[in-house]
Amino acid sequence: MASVIQNQSIEIAQPHSDAAEAVEAVKFPWLTLTSLSLGLLLLAGFYRWYQNTYSFTVGLDYFEPEFQTYWMSLFWIQLIVIFSLGAFIVPYLWFTREKVLDISPRQELSRYYIILSILSVGGLALYFALNLFTEADAAWHQVTIRDTDFTPTHIVLFYAFIPLMAIGLIFSFVWIHTRMPDYVGRVSLPLAILVAGPLLIGPNLGYNEWGHTFFYAEELFGAPIHWGFVTLGWAFLALSGFLYQCFARMARLTDLVGENYLEDPIDR
Amino acid sequence: MGSSFVKDSPADKETGIYSREIRHARPALITLDEQIKAYRTIDYTTLPALFLLFGGISVFLFALTVGDWDFWMDWRDRRWWPLVTPFSLILLPAVLGVFMWNMFRLPIGATFAVASFLVASWVSRIMNFHNFAGFPLNFVAPSTWIGLGILIDIVLLISKSWFAAGFIGAFLFGLLTYTINWPIFAPYRIPVEYNDTMVSVADLMGYMYIRTAIPEYVRIIEQSTLRTFGEAVTPLTAIFAGFITILHYYLWVWVGSKLMTNIWIRKVI
Repeated sequence: MASVIQNQSIEIAQPHSDAAEAVEAVKFPWLTLTSLSLGLLLLAGFYRWYQNTYSFTVGLDYFEPEFQTYWMSLFWIQLIVIFSLGAFIVPYLWFTREKVLDISPRQELSRYYIILSILSVGGLALYFALNLFTEADAAWHQVTIRDTDFTPTHIVLFYAFIPLMAIGLIFSFVWIHTRMPDYVGRVSLPLAILVAGPLLIGPNLGYNEWGHTFFYAEELFGAPIHWGFVTLGWAFLALSGFLYQCFARMARLTDLVGENYLEDPIDR
Repeated sequence: MGSSFVKDSPADKETGIYSREIRHARPALITLDEQIKAYRTIDYTTLPALFLLFGGISVFLFALTVGDWDFWMDWRDRRWWPLVTPFSLILLPAVLGVFMWNMFRLPIGATFAVASFLVASWVSRIMNFHNFAGFPLNFVAPSTWIGLGILIDIVLLISKSWFAAGFIGAFLFGLLTYTINWPIFAPYRIPVEYNDTMVSVADLMGYMYIRTAIPEYVRIIEQSTLRTFGEAVTPLTAIFAGFITILHYYLWVWVGSKLMTNIWIRKVI
């Protein structure tokens, strides 16, 4: 049974030397951030080009052989790739975790910078998923008559970018809870809500597809059949709670040595 | 002073283990230059990320709850559009407003939220509705909201009160939605004659650019007794929108304050 606590204190091994700490550089991973962002831009650019090129040419009739070649092949390939990534990386992050988390405050600040870079890349991924490819689905359905649940826009949105976002969030959740001292031995509730977001739309995804094949052939985007999807957006609002936890700790870490040793904002 | 506190800690001497409280007392930076660089790094990465994140979230929520009422120029009527759009959109200014004000004392949350929403909307309308689906851009251009976000932030800045920000700011947000967008809509309200029938420019565009998955090609929205109210329809709807926007704003300010609580789960199963 889940028990929710506040201001919990746990013990973490933390031997380190001030002399060694003084020479450690606190670096922001700009190169990693730039590389990941460019990679994501290329991926989204490819999908956008593919949608623009093949949606209206070979994506209108599910029963045409071209649809199977161009769209269902993509559907299966991306599902296999995304689930394989998840099946490999999550155990890797867990088994390579640090058993004794003996990092200095400077190392901890560097790791918070990694969280900020994850936030930036995640922001970009979310932008593509919830803005670009969600409303591509809205625009597509306004000008076509659908004959399948696996429309070109659904294949990109529900079976590529939202699963990518989901496993990205799960990677981040595992990494943060195995590499950050504040998160070891307990779970951040706001981060857990954030990670649960993409999973929460599962039931409504099923209801939506079932409903469109049954009683609702139209595609008004603000129709009640779509309202259950808001759980994804609402869950992402928990980002503010996660940022509160991060900033409270970073506020202390970015104090200068020898100043401000009063109460700790994170346990306030 | 702080370093000696950590070194002299009994926990450190006896067990070599720092408790979370003791570890928390230890800062990381040594020089002022380092500190300034750290603050700038955090600002330069967090603010653009938040702009993307909240833009994406707001467009997503807006599309699912308002959707077609704001996608199309001919759907922006006098009855539903001025009511449902501010009611739905106020969610993000409330949550982000609480985050920015309670955490940083920055009265920019509402403006930041609607600006990120507006930029994200333009990206989507150009790339999806215009470029992908082929609708004319002026038929699917987004409405404007930045002035309304500024109003909420100004009230919060002057009053430093969520009650006033909601009662005055959120009311104005709902009340002035139609007014502030009128310069955008006006050219599309001009009557034209088509097949011996008088329609507005927006209606004609909707008739020419067929949307196969919405119920009617030509919609009659002002049904029931609404037409008998003549020119009072718009201000009447605006005032009603103002009141319900207040209530929705308060609800999400409360939700936003709860989301910002520092909660940890110790035992999952």
